[in-house]
Amino acid sequence: MNFDFHAALALGLPIGIGVAAIGSGIGLGLIGQGAMQGIARQPEATGKIQINMIIMAALAEALTIYAFVVMLMLNKKIG
Amino acid sequence: MSLRYFKNVRSVTIALVVVTAIAAATYATPLSALGLLAGAAWSLVNLALLEILIVALLTPGAASARALPRVAWALGGMALLLLGLAWLLFHLPALWLVAGFSAPLAVIVLKAASGALLESGAWRALAKSPWRAAAVVAALILTAWWLLPARSLGQRADGAAGAHGDSAVRDAPGLTTAAHGEAPGAAGEPAAKAEGEDEGSDKFPNVITLITAANHGARWAKALHFWEPIVFSLAVGLVVCITGFVASRNPKMIPGGLQNGAEMLVEKLYEFVGGILGHKNARRFFPLLGTLFVYIFAMNLFGLLPLMDSPTSNLNITFALGLTVFVYVQYVGIRGLGIVGYVDHMLGSPRDVLGWMVAPLMFPIHLMGELAKPISLSCRLFGNVFGEDMLLVGFASLGIGMLSFAHSPVGIPLHAIFFPLALLTSTLQAFVFTVLSTIYILLMLPHEEHGHEEEAQRAH
Repeated sequence: MNFDFHAALALGLPIGIGVAAIGSGIGLGLIGQGAMQGIARQPEATGKIQINMIIMAALAEALTIYAFVVMLMLNKKIG
Repeated sequence: MSLRYFKNVRSVTIALVVVTAIAAATYATPLSALGLLAGAAWSLVNLALLEILIVALLTPGAASARALPRVAWALGGMALLLLGLAWLLFHLPALWLVAGFSAPLAVIVLKAASGALLESGAWRALAKSPWRAAAVVAALILTAWWLLPARSLGQRADGAAGAHGDSAVRDAPGLTTAAHGEAPGAAGEPAAKAEGEDEGSDKFPNVITLITAANHGARWAKALHFWEPIVFSLAVGLVVCITGFVASRNPKMIPGGLQNGAEMLVEKLYEFVGGILGHKNARRFFPLLGTLFVYIFAMNLFGLLPLMDSPTSNLNITFALGLTVFVYVQYVGIRGLGIVGYVDHMLGSPRDVLGWMVAPLMFPIHLMGELAKPISLSCRLFGNVFGEDMLLVGFASLGIGMLSFAHSPVGIPLHAIFFPLALLTSTLQAFVFTVLSTIYILLMLPHEEHGHEEEAQRAH
């Protein structure tokens, strides 16, 4: 059986990051949409909404970062 | 042009050439450094002999009896020097010899240029205010920062090109060898080494990698390289401490400059933490949270300074920070809720039959949630800062690649576009780390305090 581990990694890692980025991109879009609507409807709550939006955005974004970290860990194995 | 002028030129040249030779021995080959030194020494001796000759010839006739042996001595010395030059040209790299030979001449030209510059009106206008001068110095440092990584990364790229048998590149001294002081004879070897080293080969050079490269193989240099992020984080801590000390050393009623900035930062942060935790708790937790923000912010920005590296682009440092927050949050929980209250919190605060029924399910979930906190905190910070550094390095090497067809030592500073982005991420990630730590503490506080806090918020 001629299974090329390195090629599989080299092909799979970017795809993994891309998929993770799609997911957190959708999440970030929803968060941003919600926050913008909230601010538009209630401009005096802008400060509070922004802080919570940043927290949620950080949480959503972290998932891509995890994929990125995994890529960095496996990056060295691509010969 | 007096003799004193020549003396100045000589000392400046010696200092310049010695420093350059050390750098050449580090980045090119020891032989090229030797060539540089030999060329400069030759040139200096030549100048000295010329000086003797001129002085002897121009002295009024009274001393001509003594002048004659001097003239003969100088002429003989110059003949010997020419023979020496022929010998040197066969044994040392010619390009470096020429560079060393022209060093004193370059110093003379530079001295003349700086003399003209110092007299000019533009220079006076610049030097009038310390702020203006500081801005110019900052601009110069920034320019050097663009050029330096380009140069060093460019050497590595050329080393890799030399491995493919591009002999034209390999013959140019100083361009071929990777930044680890290997001999140029085996051009394939340094490239293989640079690829084999997974650490330090794909980031901007900083002080410690330069020191390690200069002392390749020395034990203490290896140890320094090994502890690099810790050394840098201690340095950042020192910088933050000194800044804080200077800002608060001499407090005035009407603050100015540094004190004003520090007070503004602390006040805004305090207000922010107070907005989440309530002002009674904010007094208790603010020292840790504010320190976290300032420290992480400084560490993130440290990587943008020339010859520095952000410690937070290393997972060990960020994990230490995350672990600190984790331990502190657990301590706050146990201290505030008591052991029983803490276990009750971990069980999901069951109050009815249904709550007790799901409690065995809730406990592992809460446990996992607690254990995931430091990991998510540290991985987020590390990933963002490291990714940003990678982005800068990637675009810097792209800029080098665009000019590499001309074997240019300097690349296009493409990564400069991303400095504002790096500033933004640095600030945002420090902020997010602080906010999440605050939220984790808030979640661990006794629950009735939430009501108080909400009332307090509604009140004002």
